[in-house]
Amino acid sequence: MSLLPSFELIRAASLAEVAAARRLHADCRLLAGGTDLIANLRHGLGGPAALVDITGLPGMQEIAAEPAGIRIGAGVTLSRLADDPLIRRHFPALAEAAATVAGPTHRASATLGGNLCLDTRCVFYNQSDWWRQSNDFCLKYRGTVCHVAPTGNRCHAAYSGDTAPVLLVLGAQAELGDADGTRRIALNELFREDGAAHLALGAEEMLLSVRLPIEPRLAAGYEKARLRGAIDFPLAGVAVSLRRRDGALDGLRIALTGTNSRPLLLSGCEALIGGPCDAEALRQISKLVQKQVSPMRTTIVPAHYRRRVAAALACRLAARLFSSPATA
Amino acid sequence: MTALREAAVGRRLPLIDGIEKVSGRAAYTADLPARALVGRILRSPYAHAELLEVDVAAARSLPGVVAVITGADCDKPFGVLPISMNEYPLARERVRYCGEPVAAVAALDDETAARALALIRLRVRELPAYFSAEAARAPGAVLLHDNNSGNVLREVHDEFGDVAAGFAAADLVREARYRCAEVAHGQMEPHAALAEYDGERQRLTLYSVTQVPYYLHLMLARCLGLEESQIRVVKPFVGGGFGARVEPLNFEIVAALLARAACGTVRLNLTREETFLTHRGRPETDIRIKLGMTRQGRLTAASCDVVQRGGAYAGYGIVTILYAGSLLHGIYDIPAVKYDGCRVYTNTPPCGAMRGHGSVDARYAFECLLDTMAAELGLDPFAVRRANLLAVPTQTANGIIVNSYGLPECLDRVESASGWQARKGRLPPGRGLGMACSHYVSGAGKPIHRTGEPHAVVELRLDFDGGITILTGAADIGQGSSTILVQAVAEILGVDIGRLRVVATDSAVTPKDNGSYSSRVTFMVGNAAIDAARQLRDILFAAAARRFETRPDWIECIGERFRVRGAEGSGLAFREVAAAALAQGGSITVKGTFTVPVEYQGGKHRGGAVGSTMALSYAAQVVEVEVDADTGMVRVEKVWVAHDCGRAINPLAVEGQVQGSVWMGMAQALGEETRYEGGLPLHASLLGYPIPTIVESPPIEVHIVECLDPNGPFGAKEASEGSLAGFLPAVTNAVAEAVGLRMTELPITPDRILEALARRQRDSRIAAARGAAS
Repeated sequence: MSLLPSFELIRAASLAEVAAARRLHADCRLLAGGTDLIANLRHGLGGPAALVDITGLPGMQEIAAEPAGIRIGAGVTLSRLADDPLIRRHFPALAEAAATVAGPTHRASATLGGNLCLDTRCVFYNQSDWWRQSNDFCLKYRGTVCHVAPTGNRCHAAYSGDTAPVLLVLGAQAELGDADGTRRIALNELFREDGAAHLALGAEEMLLSVRLPIEPRLAAGYEKARLRGAIDFPLAGVAVSLRRRDGALDGLRIALTGTNSRPLLLSGCEALIGGPCDAEALRQISKLVQKQVSPMRTTIVPAHYRRRVAAALACRLAARLFSSPATA
Repeated sequence: MTALREAAVGRRLPLIDGIEKVSGRAAYTADLPARALVGRILRSPYAHAELLEVDVAAARSLPGVVAVITGADCDKPFGVLPISMNEYPLARERVRYCGEPVAAVAALDDETAARALALIRLRVRELPAYFSAEAARAPGAVLLHDNNSGNVLREVHDEFGDVAAGFAAADLVREARYRCAEVAHGQMEPHAALAEYDGERQRLTLYSVTQVPYYLHLMLARCLGLEESQIRVVKPFVGGGFGARVEPLNFEIVAALLARAACGTVRLNLTREETFLTHRGRPETDIRIKLGMTRQGRLTAASCDVVQRGGAYAGYGIVTILYAGSLLHGIYDIPAVKYDGCRVYTNTPPCGAMRGHGSVDARYAFECLLDTMAAELGLDPFAVRRANLLAVPTQTANGIIVNSYGLPECLDRVESASGWQARKGRLPPGRGLGMACSHYVSGAGKPIHRTGEPHAVVELRLDFDGGITILTGAADIGQGSSTILVQAVAEILGVDIGRLRVVATDSAVTPKDNGSYSSRVTFMVGNAAIDAARQLRDILFAAAARRFETRPDWIECIGERFRVRGAEGSGLAFREVAAAALAQGGSITVKGTFTVPVEYQGGKHRGGAVGSTMALSYAAQVVEVEVDADTGMVRVEKVWVAHDCGRAINPLAVEGQVQGSVWMGMAQALGEETRYEGGLPLHASLLGYPIPTIVESPPIEVHIVECLDPNGPFGAKEASEGSLAGFLPAVTNAVAEAVGLRMTELPITPDRILEALARRQRDSRIAAARGAAS
């Protein structure tokens, strides 16, 4: 880690103050837990004149029961998410996913919003300034070529947040806001398949909260492939949610992380609804996954492994959930 | 009656400096208080290039910059081996790997230092760069160094016994190829140095993270053109070495050069990335090994061909390539052994010594092939090892004298502890048991420098306060060597541990020591400490004898009470006897020494010094794994390891060292691997280099086998390296049982397992299709 560049720290108490700070400092960055941002700044990835601390905004720290579900403020830490009784009762898969992120000290300050908006990652990007300069930088930052796919015209850095897939299969909505107001979108619409610009946020917009509907008998889980059982980002992460009715699949959603520049909600799962979750169904799931994910050479571990393991974990998880008592 | 005696040797004494470490009070090099300038190094972005110009004019004129130095400031190459010094602290004329230091600045603060680096301009002519041994050896490849052919640092060709006859006499001859990735030490503390230069007196003091303060001292003198007497080297607390710091390193000399140029104090703290770039780890190694065996499992011959990708400079390279061959000997009785080694220069950071120096990858290949052949002959892996045991005392074909050999007992212990006979071959699918053996030297028999001096010196000082100070140059780098010296001295003198204090590794005060490498400290410095303690005991016994008006050889000291043997009464307290001794002439200093006798300094053949030692340690281990065929993940469930370390002077420390060795072997076997992209390291962070976490760490059950060596201090031998190498083949053999795949490439990462499983499936489909077609 090298030196942290100097910056002004602005503590915002309202969306208006965030907007004001952003107008004052065009390149400012939003700061919550800082576990991703600060490490990147130390690597020379950006040199913002100001960081805007958003953890004090109203509602950012709340986990609140609402008539249709639960609202989780973007500033809720991952360790709290992993331990919160309400989350554990209604969305144990989300608690599980939060608990797989990095290590305990990271989770104590890292936030849900930060994990969702996590910068994309790549072996050519998450390196020191000296390293990237020696490699003529890259398309994502200060360069013109994506070293992962030099003939292409977009950045292939991989999305690596662990909480997004679970939230996607649970049908989450994202609440976005700026000085003019707030709006809600399906979480899936927050992301774009572009490693250099993977968040579909307006110029002054930010993520405020996530809303989850409570769906009875929906079983969900998260599996994460990584070399080490702690610290590591996912080589591939898979979330599955499903219900079981009369021995058949009733509702099946699968989402992945670590394989694309955005979290990927798998399409085509509807075709399996109404049938059993048998070997043939698992073969279909494996096919769907392998066809739709597009891991690239963004990690030291080869891309074909990430494709394979994503499919294997999806099948394993679907089979486990299908036979779990929660679905019956 | 005699007082109950609490022996110091054999006690599970927590390390004497443990409290400072676990409480955070220990001051490591980067923690030392100093009003210091900030040092920073400019590193080459090129893997191989002619350096036409290093323009530092703009950097020099930046306000706040105190000194800027380049290769022009030091024209003396350095290196740990006098026969292969070819590295400059800052590159001159050529850069040979990405990350090689090219220039350095000392500035008032970090920002200024960073700005100054950015102002330095390099003009170069790029050269072809080679990132594999094969590419570097290819005909027509540009040579990295002059006076060198084919980019080979050293070739070794040894044959002991008649190998051809051995293979002819075998019932089964098999040959296999194994590849091991390059690995790094990953010690917890990043590199750091603090240099103070006194311009008026032209004296340098350097604090550094070194394992070898003496070799560093010599190279500082050489590179700065100073006399050794103008230099003081201090090693504060060190956060691990594992061989990363057993040679003088470029940043240490750069810190000193900067301090002199700035005429002041310079702190040079390297980042984790820079620590990885400095490297000196275990080289990428390609091994072809051939063994001959009778139906009964008796080895008839072995031949082994090893190619190491050594990196850009020589460092310890000659020793590493020699070790790989010399330690094919000394563990089993093999009638004939042939070895061909080749150490190659490449445009990657220089490799060096790493725990189990040189022996690990060759041992992995040997034990894997042994297991494969045993399976082919239907022999139990334990039985095959037992069929080839040495009869000691003996001298190996390459001249290593073996006086103690606890391998048979190590085998018995892990076989029984793991339930091998009942469980092997009866585990559920996906589970497997594997075993292997390994060994290592207890200190290199022949020192690097022929000075004629003893190989180890320890001084003991006793003064009016009644405290005994152990003065040693031996570098405790976390392995616990200072604790062992305390136990050795306490044992001989019969005094409390609390009466002893260690002052270590300050060249102004402590006697020279060759350093902490090749597991030499307990053995050699321990023996010197015993010698010193005996001399001090003689002085104290003489003083006590005068008080008792008897002969010194009638005195005994137990629990700090001096008595005449067999006499009644409370005797004299330590302080009384010490006062009597001091009354004879004031403060007492004694010096103990140890020198390895010449017959233990290796065979007469070229390179025979490497592998020479006074005693070998032995280890056997059983590893149990579970392999997940969906994800390719190998999970180590448990390890049973038995290590023959002779007398365990401190069983607690031995267990820690053996667990550490096994664990480090696990890291190499299952995950760690350096990767370069155009010469740039992809792995140079603790996120990119997957050192296992506690989650992956299995229970490691340590069995200490005490096969006392007649030459060891209290019979002690090596304890910190020998158990590493065995893990690699043991886990590979366990994976073979779990999924039926004999992996031949390390590390056994999940992607390699899935790839191998897929390949097997493809092959069996093709075979089935062929069968159907015919």
